[in-house]
Amino acid sequence: MSFLEQIEPLRQAALADFGAAPDLAALEQTKGAHLGPQGRFTGLLKQLGALPKEEKPVAGKLLNQAKGELEAALAARRAELELKAALPKEPTDFTLPGRRHPLGKLHPLTQVTEDIVRIFRKLGFVVADGPEIEDEYHCFDALNTPADHPARDSQDTFYLRPEVTAPGAPAPKPALLRTHTSSVQIRAMRSQPPPIRIIVPGRVYRRDNADATHNPTFQQIEGLYVDRHVTVGDLKGTVEFVFKELLGNDVKLRFRPHYFSYTEPSFEIDFASPMVRKMGKDWLELAGCGMVHPKVFENVGYDPEVWSGWAFGFGIERIAMLRYEINDIRLFYENDTRFLRQF
Amino acid sequence: MKVTLNWLKQYVAFDWSPEELAERLTMIGIEVEGMQRLGGEFEGVVVAQVITRDRHPNADRLSLCRVADGTGERQIVCGAQNFQAGDKVPLILPGAALPPKPGDTAPFIIKVGKIRGVESQGMMCSPQELGLASDADGLLILPADAVVGQPFAEHLGRQGADVVYDLEITPNRPDLNSVVGIAREISAVTGNPLRLPEITLPAPAGAPAAEAVAVRLDAPDLCPRYSAHIVRGVKVGPSPAWLRQSLEKVGIRSISNVVDVTNFVMLEIGQPLHAFDYHLLTPTAGQRPTIVVRRAQEGEVFVTLDGKSRSLTGEMLLIADETKAVALAGVMGGQNTEINDQTRDVLIESAWFKPQNIRATAKRLDLRTDASYRYERGADLGICEWAGRRAAQLILQTAGGELAPGVVDAFPAPPTPKTITLRHQKVADLLGLPLAPADNLRHLQRLGLPVKGAPDAATCEVGVPTFRIDLKQEIDLVEEIARLHGVNNIPSTAPRGAKGAHPYDAVHDDLAAVRRILTGLGLLETQGQTLISDQSPGVTPAAPRQTIPLANPLSSDMNVLRPSLLPGLLDAARHNVSRKNPNLALFELGRVFYQVNGQPKEERRVAFLLTGLRHAPFWSGTERDARCDIYDLKGLLEEFLEQFGFRGLAFQRRAESTSLFLESAVLQLGKNVLGELGQLTPAVARQNDLRDAVFLAELSVDQLLALYRPGARSFKALPSMPSIRRDVAMLVPEATTHEAVLATVRQAKAANLESAQLFDVFRGKNVPAGQKSLAYAFTYRHAERTLTDAEVNSAHEKLLEQFQRQLQAVLREGAA
Repeated sequence: MSFLEQIEPLRQAALADFGAAPDLAALEQTKGAHLGPQGRFTGLLKQLGALPKEEKPVAGKLLNQAKGELEAALAARRAELELKAALPKEPTDFTLPGRRHPLGKLHPLTQVTEDIVRIFRKLGFVVADGPEIEDEYHCFDALNTPADHPARDSQDTFYLRPEVTAPGAPAPKPALLRTHTSSVQIRAMRSQPPPIRIIVPGRVYRRDNADATHNPTFQQIEGLYVDRHVTVGDLKGTVEFVFKELLGNDVKLRFRPHYFSYTEPSFEIDFASPMVRKMGKDWLELAGCGMVHPKVFENVGYDPEVWSGWAFGFGIERIAMLRYEINDIRLFYENDTRFLRQF
Repeated sequence: MKVTLNWLKQYVAFDWSPEELAERLTMIGIEVEGMQRLGGEFEGVVVAQVITRDRHPNADRLSLCRVADGTGERQIVCGAQNFQAGDKVPLILPGAALPPKPGDTAPFIIKVGKIRGVESQGMMCSPQELGLASDADGLLILPADAVVGQPFAEHLGRQGADVVYDLEITPNRPDLNSVVGIAREISAVTGNPLRLPEITLPAPAGAPAAEAVAVRLDAPDLCPRYSAHIVRGVKVGPSPAWLRQSLEKVGIRSISNVVDVTNFVMLEIGQPLHAFDYHLLTPTAGQRPTIVVRRAQEGEVFVTLDGKSRSLTGEMLLIADETKAVALAGVMGGQNTEINDQTRDVLIESAWFKPQNIRATAKRLDLRTDASYRYERGADLGICEWAGRRAAQLILQTAGGELAPGVVDAFPAPPTPKTITLRHQKVADLLGLPLAPADNLRHLQRLGLPVKGAPDAATCEVGVPTFRIDLKQEIDLVEEIARLHGVNNIPSTAPRGAKGAHPYDAVHDDLAAVRRILTGLGLLETQGQTLISDQSPGVTPAAPRQTIPLANPLSSDMNVLRPSLLPGLLDAARHNVSRKNPNLALFELGRVFYQVNGQPKEERRVAFLLTGLRHAPFWSGTERDARCDIYDLKGLLEEFLEQFGFRGLAFQRRAESTSLFLESAVLQLGKNVLGELGQLTPAVARQNDLRDAVFLAELSVDQLLALYRPGARSFKALPSMPSIRRDVAMLVPEATTHEAVLATVRQAKAANLESAQLFDVFRGKNVPAGQKSLAYAFTYRHAERTLTDAEVNSAHEKLLEQFQRQLQAVLREGAA
């Protein structure tokens, strides 16, 4: 057999061995047998020097070509076997649940409060705050509540034991838990000159036994706007904007004359929506509002001939209950994680 | 307050449907809370009067009539012949059905239709059509005194169809606690006149009232007016049907004609009345009795109508004769002078009592009556005499007898009528609507307010009638105009105006950031009760702080303000664990309350609770059963505080257990105590049915925010030179803390040391008892050049020497 005729069978044998190697270790052995220092193909290469001068170029070319081919085939087979080796023994079940790092959730009342705050801030309102332990002046007197009004009654309002006096009071005064966020109106107006544009979210307290619609602690949000030339029209315009943002553009609102001691005229706001109709009602009460009573302005030292304004307020639980169709206010304060995770 | 549709219609004309009336009342501020239809006979049949009768243009046998139905005029085509203009007849209105007759399969419903080309809006009825008689001899002609517009059933004294409205009356409008008051509002809306009942009385007889009784006001501050009428010779018995039904429809039990009349007049005009059996009043010295209105004596005992014996205080007001008390003023009459079957002569009391006094009495005795309800809101000082006379009229009608001439009306100091000046510009300014002055005047007049002022004047003077005690100043009149104009007719204006400012606004954002970070760390936000039990675990704050107790708690479960958020979190944990949610990572951001020397303090805090499994459920791996430990909690706190910009916090272990914590530490930033963290004691855990270890922390958010200095962040270039790491494991005594190691590192000031990272704490094999092995990785780096091994080794050797010298550390294995 001539030298040239030996190349092809060796090439074929090497290719066949590479392809037959079942794993990387076998492949490396096979590589040694063919391309290693003692390998059969290497042996052929070694004989090249012994060839006649005129045969060398042709044989060298053919040998190099075959060697290149073998190396490429070896690399391809190695990649193939490496991939095979990297694959897990069993295929991954992509339907198995993943390892979770659950995010926490904001309490639904926080979420509703934040939504309301965001809407008011679009209009230039800022958030204000005040103490929950109050005195009768800020909670009632300054808000034009008559001296013998039932709201002041210990039936309806929580008072603190007499050894605790109202905060910052020079002489001991009875301290109570604020029954509405409106006390912050008084604090804000007494501490800064008009104009005023605030919202006040916060906890308030009424002496109601807990049931599906009552909790002794609940949360309100209150808006107050004082400026020159503020009108009932302005009140309506802002209220309509806020509730359409909050409850959707398909809600209808109506204003109904009502009575609150600290606003005049006073209104209750009802809304109608497909959801209200689903509940079998035409209208559902939503909020109270009105123009700040001149007496309130006098009490905080604003001239009611120069300044006018409006205030409105509503319960945050009520909005959350409507929004999420929650039927029991106590769920908010039980903090069942199956409840909290839903929002 | 309940009223019925038919009762209202007696005082004012309106042609609204029952639903429309409800809507109209609601929209002027009288919210209709309930509406109940009462079925009845002759629904849709009213008393009508024929005004004209002419021949039908297209039929000789028919006539074409104009008929008044009480609200307006109708055109009716009629085939009967037995009537003429002026006759009163029953008229059935379109939409109503005639009473069914035997054999009828469907009701015969009257419709508006054309009869021989002329429209007929209803049908005048015969007795047969109404099922009252079997013959059909023309229309039923009613007596001349029949009241046009009255439901026919009522005319007959039968139960008519009606609608009962349950109204919410706001406390500022006591005048609306009466049918006339509501009718006055309807009159203001419609412009139709208010028709008060006319009081026509037969000629009085016998001795004048003033000879029969005297009135002495001993407490004119509490009772400035007391009027008394006397009716003699009544026959007490059951009320006639109309009176009984009027009361029963609005939920008041019928008692007897005389008592029912006093209730009827109270409902009609809002003035509570009381009827005494005149002969049970003890005359003074054999002459006439004297009614004395006086304060009770402290401890005086009085038996009210309900048979209960009541002990009175010196501030309660009594009606008395010279010998005994006869009524608890404004609240309830006395048993000793009650109207009874033998009563012949009646004294009708119509008085005014001070609202605050009546409220105090009713509350003190826990005795609320229809009378006290009206008096404590404010009755009409001006209506007393009228109401007494009205009651006399109805007693004469229903119980017979004679009215004694005159009235004893003790009213020594009638107040001068009030007026309020209204500026028309003020109305326009506040409503944002240029209402014409003439409109303002019209609205006010229709409410029954006397108004003086030309339509082109800038102001007008508005008189305040005695029934409108809520009208005190100009703004009250503005509200009346807004109500009658209709707030829905005031156009909305888009939000505009000043930008707000308040120091809390930025704090609100900081609190929102706290919540966002904590939810990002996987914690669920909770909101607990502010009011908790003084027996809750962890409720006692450290001295000098004390809890704040309520003076009037609802229950012992809620008798103090929470001085900490931890009891609330423990409540939430108990609730969840008992409902098989055992794995909890919770926080609450909220206020706590405590007192220091009687001064209440409020503080915002954030509290944490971890218990149960560390990781969300997974289906493989050794970590899946790992329970939370204190380092999970500490890691959360570190991450939170670092996210919020705090570093360099010190955790000082408390030497002893506390009532709440098995083991705990105080968290400090410099000298400021920020809060605490620790593991709940097993005893409290057991009380709350918490099986896994519970880890709690609470920080003062107010403190954090006070210390928080949000600086401008500036970029620090990433290291460009390679680092060299040296690991060290050493044995140290158990008491040596990680912080002590770090302190030693800081002191050693090893050159080019970038960081020290603890990577292993080990006790056990090859570690002697009382010792532990700590392993640290130290990273060395120079900012501008590559460090040589020799440089690093020299620095590191010094560090190791310090460990050996200061911590008595024994270096383990290859300490290089």
